[in-house]
Amino acid sequence: MAFVSGPLKSVRVDALVVLKIAKHASSAHPQVITGQLLGMDVDGELQVTNSFPFPSADPAASTGDFNNDNNAANTAAAAPRAKANAWYQAEMMRCLREMNVDANSVGWYQSANLGNFLNANFVENQYFYQSTLNERTIALVHDTARSAQGTLSLRAFRLTPAFMAAQKEGKFTSESLVKHNLTYRDILLELPVSIRNSHLLTTLLHQLDSPPLPIHPTPFSLSSLTPTPLFPNFDSLDLSIDPFLEKNCDLLLDSIETHYTELNNAQYHTRQLTREQAKITAWQTKRKSENMLRAAAKQELLPEDEWTRVFKLPQEPSRLESLLNSRQIEQYAKQVDGFTAGATAKMFAVNAGLMKSD
Amino acid sequence: MTDQDSYIHLARPLPVVNVPPVHATTGPLSVLIHAQALFSILDHSLRRNADQDRVIGTLLGVRSEDGSEVEIRNCFAVGHNESQEQVEVDMDYHKTMLGLHLKANPKEVLVGWYATSPELNTFSALIQNFYASNGEGTFPHPAVHLTMSTVPGADIAIRTYISSAVGVNQDRIADSCLFVPVPYEIRYNDADRSGLELVAGAKNNEERTVSVMTDIHALERAIEDVLGMLDRVGHYVSRVVHGETPGSTAIGKFLMNTLALAPKVAASDVERMFNTHIQDVLLISYLANTIRTQIDLSNRLASLTATATTTAAPVVPAVAAPATVTAGGK
Repeated sequence: MAFVSGPLKSVRVDALVVLKIAKHASSAHPQVITGQLLGMDVDGELQVTNSFPFPSADPAASTGDFNNDNNAANTAAAAPRAKANAWYQAEMMRCLREMNVDANSVGWYQSANLGNFLNANFVENQYFYQSTLNERTIALVHDTARSAQGTLSLRAFRLTPAFMAAQKEGKFTSESLVKHNLTYRDILLELPVSIRNSHLLTTLLHQLDSPPLPIHPTPFSLSSLTPTPLFPNFDSLDLSIDPFLEKNCDLLLDSIETHYTELNNAQYHTRQLTREQAKITAWQTKRKSENMLRAAAKQELLPEDEWTRVFKLPQEPSRLESLLNSRQIEQYAKQVDGFTAGATAKMFAVNAGLMKSD
Repeated sequence: MTDQDSYIHLARPLPVVNVPPVHATTGPLSVLIHAQALFSILDHSLRRNADQDRVIGTLLGVRSEDGSEVEIRNCFAVGHNESQEQVEVDMDYHKTMLGLHLKANPKEVLVGWYATSPELNTFSALIQNFYASNGEGTFPHPAVHLTMSTVPGADIAIRTYISSAVGVNQDRIADSCLFVPVPYEIRYNDADRSGLELVAGAKNNEERTVSVMTDIHALERAIEDVLGMLDRVGHYVSRVVHGETPGSTAIGKFLMNTLALAPKVAASDVERMFNTHIQDVLLISYLANTIRTQIDLSNRLASLTATATTTAAPVVPAVAAPATVTAGGK
């Protein structure tokens, strides 16, 4: 873009892209998949008009043991910034440009399972896109598990400037967090997503939805009564709430465990630091008294700042993991909260309905 | 659309021996089209060059084991030039693109091609013969040709064909073919459904846009829809009862089946189940919120200690003895 017009405000996704991502994500579910988004940036609104999937890891790996599977998942998650993928990406974009597709990279997409996408890989991918390719890029997250429940879950994220600055320095110590004023709440910036159809698509949708009237005014067979597929689905009225909550609680507990480990690490570091500092103080007082004796004996004074060579302060562990984990826990908690709101409403409705019919 | 055409498919015997096997079997075939492929074709049609009447592309998908069913899942555009006398299809482009697609979707194979005009002419036959050919084409399976008219202001008509050889001699066979219409059905995946629903929601909208809904909005809409449908059914039934409209056995049966699905449970059982479940749900919601607060607290404490140590430590490292802060997580 020749002119830069303020920060990105919203994301507009074409219906085609929604379907492409949904198909790609569900074909590999529950494995994580990634792909490229193409489109244009128009006055702060990012228009995503096309996409293509990144080749997933070797299909043979899926038959391998668990360890192998894990590796495959990792390579897929890291695909957007993988060297091996650059060729594929460039070639595909060259080809699409020939067909008049808006072949500008505007970001990438990833599939997720109940919102578990917040990890180092995600952040590194987006950092890679925002720092090396184009600052105005987004990450679209399609939640396969939640979409299967009836409501499409498609969210757009960007890294905040504060996080970009911290990531650029490459270290996440308490000091740098304070410096950039970074808390777990401002790692990611969510942008509103809207979906848009072309005129032709609107025509097609209208046509599919209202098939030509049959000759007979009233249907005579049950098969002709089945609703058209584009009819609003009623999956969100489903009453099986336990599996979803159970899965969510599992994920939440896992995250808390990670949080606990991180916390222990941090505390261990603090204790270590205190111990070292106590030793340094002891050493310094000793050196001081020694110097005092030497001064009394008219001897040469020993240098007092030698402690930096003798002692080494322990390295503070990176706080990135715990930041991301906190954000992840917050996300799970919100998810549970949102879900229970719907679930309670449904349960009260069912209760009232059944009571009456009794 | 599908309902307008009725089909009777007769398999024509294949030409006799001396004909090279350019054309595969012409046995009955049913075609399933995924919505994504249709969307893609429309997109391509919108992006055609101004002087082009129609655009073509390659269809990808899967074939059932016995080859009697073809599922069109995906497609990509291929450039071509058409003039009065000749047609040029960018074969290299087609090959490169096919290779790239197969890398990302190893399960999909070449199944045919599409054009965005309902017309079938000599060029169609030539292209069809390429896609059905041995080697690079779909041989020994038939290649599916899909036409989709994209004239503004008119209905979008979709047709699917397979081809069989026709012609008096070798040369004629190479540049002509007989297009046999085959029935098709538009297929919607479970995975697509939530997306399609949202996309379809924008169709009555002047701006053709719709924003992604939250769960609770979706629930609200679903409940409103159900209430609307109940109203309609109630209205219909009362009209039938009053003899204003003739009844339909099918609808009657359907309603009866549906009503029979209502569970018979004692009031006390319902009450008990409801109470246990609602308690579970509320407890989890409460716990989730508590965890959220705790995490927030823990992070605030951590950053507080960080500020304390960073301000104190560099100045007098020897004296700074930070109290071991227990940033309680759980």
